[in-house]
Amino acid sequence: MRYIFRCTILTVIVSLGASVPSQGQTVPNDDPDLALQLAQPDFTLVALPTTLRVPRHKGAFRVTHRFTRELGNGDFGDLASDLFGLDNGAQIGLEYRFGLFKGTQIGFHRTSDRTTEFFAQHEVKAQSESFPFTISAFASIDGTNNFRDSYSPALGAVVSRTIAEHVAFYLEPIWVNNSNILPSALVDNNDAMLLGLGTRLRVRPTVYIVIEGTPRIAGDKPNVTQIGVGLEKRAGGHTFQLNFSNGFGTTLGQVARGGTGRSDWYMGFNISRKFF
Amino acid sequence: MTRRILLACLLSVAAVGCDEKLSSVTGPTPQLEPTLTSIQRDIFGARDLAGRQACTDCHSDVGRNPSGGLVLLGGRAHEQLVGRASSGKPGAIRVIPGDPDNSYIIRKLEGAPDIVGVRMPRGNGPFLTDGQILVIRRWIQLGAPNN
Repeated sequence: MRYIFRCTILTVIVSLGASVPSQGQTVPNDDPDLALQLAQPDFTLVALPTTLRVPRHKGAFRVTHRFTRELGNGDFGDLASDLFGLDNGAQIGLEYRFGLFKGTQIGFHRTSDRTTEFFAQHEVKAQSESFPFTISAFASIDGTNNFRDSYSPALGAVVSRTIAEHVAFYLEPIWVNNSNILPSALVDNNDAMLLGLGTRLRVRPTVYIVIEGTPRIAGDKPNVTQIGVGLEKRAGGHTFQLNFSNGFGTTLGQVARGGTGRSDWYMGFNISRKFF
Repeated sequence: MTRRILLACLLSVAAVGCDEKLSSVTGPTPQLEPTLTSIQRDIFGARDLAGRQACTDCHSDVGRNPSGGLVLLGGRAHEQLVGRASSGKPGAIRVIPGDPDNSYIIRKLEGAPDIVGVRMPRGNGPFLTDGQILVIRRWIQLGAPNN
């Protein structure tokens, strides 16, 4: 497995080297992927990917932050005295994605529990007058302990439908292997089939409400379905999202393992920055 | 072409099935598997690398009276465990196929609060690891076959 991973990384690096424009070579600035999409301004919802394309040879950075203080623990005074969880620890994620080709992006996401995810996404079909959806193929693999243990590869599709400049809907069937980190000899199911559902609603010119849920429709289903809601503000190339979720998962392996409990809610935020 | 090769490569990585090694959870008994033969060999009948004593040190009728009336020698453990009532706790069944939570052997190995007597193995440990108990649980969950 480690050998395959190294080969893949080498392939990615070689491809990057081969595809990055040399000095004097320019990427056309009339690339439609550079334009802001008002209904779909960011590459993720709360944890799930969207179908937004990264322009060729451009990148984007994201920080995810999930405070580990359960909001329902104690009374309001307790919560306020902890500044709604900000005084407590958090699971932090750092992410970078890069537009390798037109419609193809790759990236990595590392969370502070030492899980590292590598992902790739390719747009298969774009929404148009003759086709109502955008469909992207998605693949990722995450590993715990700085990608040394418990690898969880995932394959799936991200299907979106945007309506004018106001709303986007998402349907994301994703299969996650080894979502149960016990050996398969000890469990009934070692995989999980997720059906990510989500929407982003533009309620003000630069303000959005984001909702997502990721029920496991087959396979291993520990804990509860992870749900997240967010209030988002777009400011230039930045997107700031204050979110509430019932789990800390931001990689697909983590999301497949579910949220911590139906009534466990945690505050968090995402900040993303486009470098284009 | 490069794009297709790269995409195929990434998809291939994701399509590779991953699994944890059983030995990663079985600790001092790296060969342990959820079969009675394996449990007999590595748990009932032998000390492990952590120094835990063999169950058959006490649960044997060779030259002694078996503790708790339970014999865990090879070839006899299945009929002594599966569906058999505990001699220590009235109403308790040593192994209930498919139901590890209510199998008394698991409760004794885990030191559940409702057991009669002491946690097994007797003494101050080392006890079975969580991973070793998971393997025994799995064998029971699979119907406790005589395999």
